[in-house]
Amino acid sequence: MYEAARARPAGPSTVARLAATAADCGYDGLVAANPAADRPAVDREAVAEAWGVDVVDAVVLEPEDPAAASGAIGHHRPEATVLIVRARTHAVAAHAARQAKVDVLVPPADGGDLDDVLVNAAAEHGVRLGVDLGPALRSRGPERTDAIAGLRKLRELLEHADAPYVVTGSAGSHLELRAPRELAAVAATAGFEREAVEAGLAEWGRLAERNRERLSGDYVAPGVRREGDG
Amino acid sequence: MSPLPKHLRPRYRYLAVALEAWPDAELDRPGFQAAIEAGVRALSGDEGLAAADPEVIRFAFSDGSGEAIVRTRRDAVETARAGLAAVDAVDGAPLAVCVRGISGTVRGCEERYLAGRQLRGGESTVVFDGAERPATVRGDRVDVHLESGFAGATDLDTT
Repeated sequence: MYEAARARPAGPSTVARLAATAADCGYDGLVAANPAADRPAVDREAVAEAWGVDVVDAVVLEPEDPAAASGAIGHHRPEATVLIVRARTHAVAAHAARQAKVDVLVPPADGGDLDDVLVNAAAEHGVRLGVDLGPALRSRGPERTDAIAGLRKLRELLEHADAPYVVTGSAGSHLELRAPRELAAVAATAGFEREAVEAGLAEWGRLAERNRERLSGDYVAPGVRREGDG
Repeated sequence: MSPLPKHLRPRYRYLAVALEAWPDAELDRPGFQAAIEAGVRALSGDEGLAAADPEVIRFAFSDGSGEAIVRTRRDAVETARAGLAAVDAVDGAPLAVCVRGISGTVRGCEERYLAGRQLRGGESTVVFDGAERPATVRGDRVDVHLESGFAGATDLDTT
């Protein structure tokens, strides 16, 4: 299972510290999910050797509107193994759900305008929806209530569409990382089964593996790859 | 009041919990107890809190690291676990909470999951981001003191 978190310089913890804590929590991998302007420096091999954690580099985009999203997705796609779009508005979410270049789409936390059309579109274009447990873990009062209600709605839509998804606690530091069992217990308050949460955490790993293969140069199209001596 | 007959006594489970914070964090048992109750109540309501009835029965914390044992009703372990996960800070100080294991007895909990896990922090000077800075070092974990607060690093990030 993999977890996604924000590293220095976008947060207080280095990728190595996040990876060390992730190893304590029982994760196999860590997705370093930073904004495009604040990408972390990391020695992936040293981290893998020290704590047995696979570091995946990811870029998080938070575009203002669909036009900005188009440009940013095309521009940053080649830079990272995993491309994540955090949508703050329904317009951006609806746009990103139809871009096959997007790996993960995190819809607005309260689930406001989320609908079956968007979830079906994401499933059709191979865009995974991000189940973000962060606001349920760390916000207070009505905001937390909205977040749990949003998760509940997202779960119902995902189940109905049988759409692919990833799960994250979106930690901003090593102190915000939580173990898979803990995330599952929180997600259970929105009706998620434990197995569904574990599958969503494991999906990051599958995604990283698929994209690394695609970036490796031997990849031509799904199911078609270049052999060693041609 | 006479003690309840054995088959009517509540059944408990004991959660071994590892705690981590920045080195300057001050955390005591009542504060942690209140934070757990707030966490459980936020996710499961008063009913959930009454059902889980979580209680901190062992607590040790210093230099930003600690351990605790939290007792909870056996049939509400997951409710307590969710509430623990939702503890993100105590008195404004960010706190990491990780359930190391669950046992039917306090002793089993201590022996299996907590014994000797806690490393003491030591003060040191490290080179981080190209400058010498004071730091608190615990095993391979390094909390670097910066003007703006702390940076969480490891021995890979510092020299």
